[in-house]
Amino acid sequence: MYIGCLLNLKNNSNNKVIKMNEVEDDTRLMEKIKEMITEGKIDAVVDKIAIYLNLSTEENYIERLENIFETVSLAQGGRTVIRFLIEHLVIDVPSLLENLSKKDSLLRYSFLLLLREIAENEQDLLIPHSNDLLNSEDPNVREAFLQLIVFIAGGDKGIEDESILEIITSRLSDEKDFVVEKAIQALKTIGNKSPSIVTRVLKEFSKKCSENDELIKNIDIVLKSIVTVEKIEEIVEIVEKEESKIEKPVEELVEKEKELESKEIELKVKEKELDDKEAELEKKEILSDFDLKKIEKEKQLTEKEIELTEKEIELKEKEKEIKLEIEGKKDIKKLPKKLVKEEVKILDKEIELKKKDLEIKKKKLEIEEKEKELEEIKVIEKERS
Amino acid sequence: MPLEPRHIIEFLGDATNDKFNSELLGYLIKRVNKLCFDECQIDRIQCTLTPLCTRRFLLKLRIKNGLNLDDLPKFCYSVHKNIVLRDFRGKTIVYRPFDAYLYLVDFLDIFFHGDYRKLNKFISFKNWDDALKIFDDRIYNRDENFHYYLKNNYFIIRYDDRLHIIFIEENYVLCNARGESIVNLDILSGICELYANLYFPDVKVKLIRSEFVQITITLPSDIINNISNDPEAQENFSKSDHYFWNVFYEDLETMTQFCQTIHLEIDYIGNLLIKLDINLVTNNYDEKQKPLPLRYRDLRFLLNFVQRLYTDFYVYWLPT
Repeated sequence: MYIGCLLNLKNNSNNKVIKMNEVEDDTRLMEKIKEMITEGKIDAVVDKIAIYLNLSTEENYIERLENIFETVSLAQGGRTVIRFLIEHLVIDVPSLLENLSKKDSLLRYSFLLLLREIAENEQDLLIPHSNDLLNSEDPNVREAFLQLIVFIAGGDKGIEDESILEIITSRLSDEKDFVVEKAIQALKTIGNKSPSIVTRVLKEFSKKCSENDELIKNIDIVLKSIVTVEKIEEIVEIVEKEESKIEKPVEELVEKEKELESKEIELKVKEKELDDKEAELEKKEILSDFDLKKIEKEKQLTEKEIELTEKEIELKEKEKEIKLEIEGKKDIKKLPKKLVKEEVKILDKEIELKKKDLEIKKKKLEIEEKEKELEEIKVIEKERS
Repeated sequence: MPLEPRHIIEFLGDATNDKFNSELLGYLIKRVNKLCFDECQIDRIQCTLTPLCTRRFLLKLRIKNGLNLDDLPKFCYSVHKNIVLRDFRGKTIVYRPFDAYLYLVDFLDIFFHGDYRKLNKFISFKNWDDALKIFDDRIYNRDENFHYYLKNNYFIIRYDDRLHIIFIEENYVLCNARGESIVNLDILSGICELYANLYFPDVKVKLIRSEFVQITITLPSDIINNISNDPEAQENFSKSDHYFWNVFYEDLETMTQFCQTIHLEIDYIGNLLIKLDINLVTNNYDEKQKPLPLRYRDLRFLLNFVQRLYTDFYVYWLPT
């Protein structure tokens, strides 16, 4: 028992010594990093920090991260180091925000301030994470990223991506007040630069969620802050455009239906063509070149016949039309309108009958073709056998 | 001329305005609540890094007046606690949390984390035996650098170089006491006794007639007799000659600002007795000729003087 106690004591003291050494090493390293930053050796600092973080365990990772931020935030040129750390993927923004969420608010917000310059000037490093971070389970992460969005919106480029605006708007009904507040702040800041887009997104969102009173109230707050005498014209113009867009949709729908129908017809034609081609290919496989030439010539002949007969029909139609016109002009006063109409109907029927005759002829020709093909196949088979 | 703070103070001080005072104060309370709950802490980044009231003095206003945690802006209070914690751990902070008021349980959580629930229970029920056992264990077995002194309703803790006052009945703690005024003679005598125990055990500290605290420093006759009689002979001055001819009177003059009276007596053996009578007000006055209260930093200044005399001219001269 006594020995056990002694061993425990020894272990405890060993642990204490190790921890003390760690702390001393950390402070020495941080001092070194401070010196290097002031000397402008940013790349070397980034390498050192990368090694320092790589050697950390799960237990002391956040502590090490905190050490780095404390050191870097106090040094001149600290922001550059942070930017380099993010660019070189030593620090991954989403996991960093999640880790910082576990620490106290002072550290978290101090770090966010460090990211301000990066957010304003190099939003591309942050924007890709917006969907994940704005929908994070941790409200601190959601809030932190909304703060970054406030910084981004305050920068040169701003935010005009409607999908991001929609996610931010959805945060207006977040369960945590402080997230809602940050979302309002973010939308207000974005709205100052691009009021029309924010107004449109908010308007559409309010239509979707008209039953959510809290959301509507917050949208109202944002809109009130965005709409000013200076910006009202821009917003009104866009609203008018949208209204005119709303009137059109019925016509657009009809047009679209028509387009669809025509596309369907085109597709069918193409299908048929494909079938024909397949059939041709099959034929080619079976028949020799000689036979093919024969068939093609026959085909061409029959097609020409058909064309001629079609032209004949057209000519006849034209003749009838001319006759009708002349008769109509002469006998307008003499003949009653009903008779003229009946004559036209009869002529139409005649034309239809002729068309049908032509079709029958076509079909007969096709049948003949097929019969010939079959005969040829038989001949070939016989030759082979 | 716009409305100025002094106009309001004068208005509130006028007895004929009693009917309107409550209305006026109601507006003030409404504004303060709006500032804390609606404007400041709703934006947590702002509340953390740049609170809308200077060093969260509105929290002090609430805590000192016995309001519960439910009546406080909770996030603001959590940041306040965090700042005290970070300062205690030597981490970077936005401002030094001097004169920070915390609830007892939170103070114990920061400074005595492992035992804070037990300590809170023991102190709340005034179970001092068990509470002091824990404190002693921490001092003697865990090498924690703090000292304590219990004086009636006040438990004074000196941790590292900082002074913390636990107001037991009120259930709150003044952390890192510095610019606040000392509100009670028990606290005053308690701090003097704590320092006396630590740094100048032979200096007498007495609470006299519940009116003032008297600190008596004895300078041995040897040292007094050895002081040169010739103030002009600067070249041959010893350390004590130099001090008593050149610095001592300046020190005494400075001390008169903070002491009600200073007595210099020679006892029957020839020792010099320096008696400092201190109470809760100083001899400094504000614009309206009202005496300024004694602050913790004033007392600290005074105790440093005592300690210097003691170490330089008492301990040094004691026969080993």
